[in-house]
Amino acid sequence: MDELTGYRRDTAWGVRNHVLVLPARAGANVAAAGIAADAPGAVAIRHEWVGHSDDGDAALVLRTLAGFACNPNVAAVLVVGVGPADETLAAEIAARGQRVEFLTLANHRGTAGTVAAGQGILSSLLASAAACERELMPVSALVVGLECGGSDALSGITANPALGIASDRLVAGGATTMLSEVPELVGAERLLAARAVSPEVGERMIAVVESFEREVEALGIDIRGAQPTPGNIEGGLTTIEEKSLGAAKKAGNAPLTGVINFAERPHEPGLYVMDTPGHDIEQMVGLVAGGCQIVAFTTGRGTPTGSPIAPCLKISTNSRIFERMQGDIDLDAGRVVDGYVTLAEMGDEILAALLATCAGKPTASERRGNSEFAIRRTAIASATVLGGSPETAKAREGS
Amino acid sequence: MRTLRGYRREDGRFGVRNHLLVLPSVVCSTHVASEITVAGGVGVVHQHGCLQVGDDLQHSERLLTGVALNPNVGAVLVVSLGCETLRGAGLARRLGERGATVELVGIQADGGTAAALVHGREAATRMGGELSRREEVEFAGDALVVGLDLPGEDVEARAIEAAFDEAGIATVQAPAGVEGPEAHVELAADGVVVIVSRPPAEEAPIGFAVCPVVAVSSGSDLHSAIAEDFDVSPKPDEAPTALAQRVLAATLGHAAGTPTAAESRGSREFVLRRLAVTM
Repeated sequence: MDELTGYRRDTAWGVRNHVLVLPARAGANVAAAGIAADAPGAVAIRHEWVGHSDDGDAALVLRTLAGFACNPNVAAVLVVGVGPADETLAAEIAARGQRVEFLTLANHRGTAGTVAAGQGILSSLLASAAACERELMPVSALVVGLECGGSDALSGITANPALGIASDRLVAGGATTMLSEVPELVGAERLLAARAVSPEVGERMIAVVESFEREVEALGIDIRGAQPTPGNIEGGLTTIEEKSLGAAKKAGNAPLTGVINFAERPHEPGLYVMDTPGHDIEQMVGLVAGGCQIVAFTTGRGTPTGSPIAPCLKISTNSRIFERMQGDIDLDAGRVVDGYVTLAEMGDEILAALLATCAGKPTASERRGNSEFAIRRTAIASATVLGGSPETAKAREGS
Repeated sequence: MRTLRGYRREDGRFGVRNHLLVLPSVVCSTHVASEITVAGGVGVVHQHGCLQVGDDLQHSERLLTGVALNPNVGAVLVVSLGCETLRGAGLARRLGERGATVELVGIQADGGTAAALVHGREAATRMGGELSRREEVEFAGDALVVGLDLPGEDVEARAIEAAFDEAGIATVQAPAGVEGPEAHVELAADGVVVIVSRPPAEEAPIGFAVCPVVAVSSGSDLHSAIAEDFDVSPKPDEAPTALAQRVLAATLGHAAGTPTAAESRGSREFVLRRLAVTM
């Protein structure tokens, strides 16, 4: 494999060197954005978590935000809170070994004072981040997310199996890859379970899909209203099972090492399935919070998505969308269908592009500035509106 | 009855702001929507619009539609990706059918981010120019509709509601159990043009994209510490009725055009209440 470089952190390697300005709650979004504005190297996110202490999702959101902040692409974090209660988030980030500073609106008379004080703290964090230098990085330190968005009938024939070849080579080299989007594995769960490294992992694989199906059933809704999406159908997909069998090809043929919760970090290398929704942004946040330094993203309909802190490498399933959406997509796997490259060659090309991206080459979505973020909610207060029980949401979240 | 100044819309309602709303139909188009606003308009960022089902999808569609039809919105530029569940093309068509001045930018239909940005900025410049020529008119105070996000239903909340009532100004309560930015979206979708909001004691005030939010402090330690982010704070030993009169006066001032604290600091959140998990 090609030479790989990255930033050595305490327990992992980053492929980018961001300083993250993280609002603990939506009430601090404006202050966080103000602190990071005009500070090259700093990235602020905004999110919709209002932060009611009695909200059933408080623990999930804490894990998601803390996991995101502790991604090795982040050199240091400035948590912007509303009041003293938000120190919980900063403490969780510190407990995981990340460098973190914390300030609140309450201690700086509101937003304007917080922006002024935060800019000073940010300068010192940026200076320490700037002292980090790229070094030769082992491929085994890579954690790569395998995502697809806006799938079409070619997804399972071109881009996804080519990405699967790249994934197999990464896993063989001691790296970690993560498949996600459980709703888009419905129908493919037994194929994945058959590759599990242990009966327990295989059972967990079947269980997360069945849990999702039970939850949907309990809500009294028809998943066909959302899966496949209208765009998938226009792209030639007919059923969720067909979409799933194509989606699972992103995971190649490697053994399935584990099935993990949303935003959970795996402890040993190998191929994993993370329990996420199909929603492109919610799952990307989960993958990055789970430690992915980079996400490979195949698309048939064409989507310009990116993460605030992790490069997202786009691979089109067809050449038409690659040419039509100039500058939004990095690689064209549609050439497999036209006979210009073989699947194996496309797999090599994807692997080489992933390594080059990790070594610093910006992706299309990084050049565009795409940096979407979403908070995963499961304990929706009024799940009863649809006849479901909060327990089903809780069961899905796992222990 | 006092008179106010505002913008008369096609359906006879009056707005107190004259926004070009740049509205993404899905999280995937929020980046393009934000980038379009350099040419004009007020953008919102949200994380919804895909892989929603049933009542939850309908509820989100109803809220996006209602907010886009709010009298403070003079024109709407819907920004769609193309393959999303909550389809931007359908949203734009329904808004047009209901009398809105609306145009559609589609990232996939236009041929990607670069083409959508050219299209969107051209549309925003043109639509913003047309909006700026709409003239303010006088309207009677009883045509003002104020939303109340005052969870707790305590003596101050009742006094504030009574003050508006006595002034002949209609108020709409946030739905039961819904508060803060989620309530603001619901209230705006119901047509209120100004929102009076008192956050819970441990939460900060949050502004909203489409309506001025008059932030009223609860007087809690946190609220007192960040008093400059509020529009009205209680004075020591102030009677609830006196506070309510100051809230009424502040609301009329902000309706007349004085920026709220949230508008001044650029707080324009858009938090959709969800009824089911994302698929």
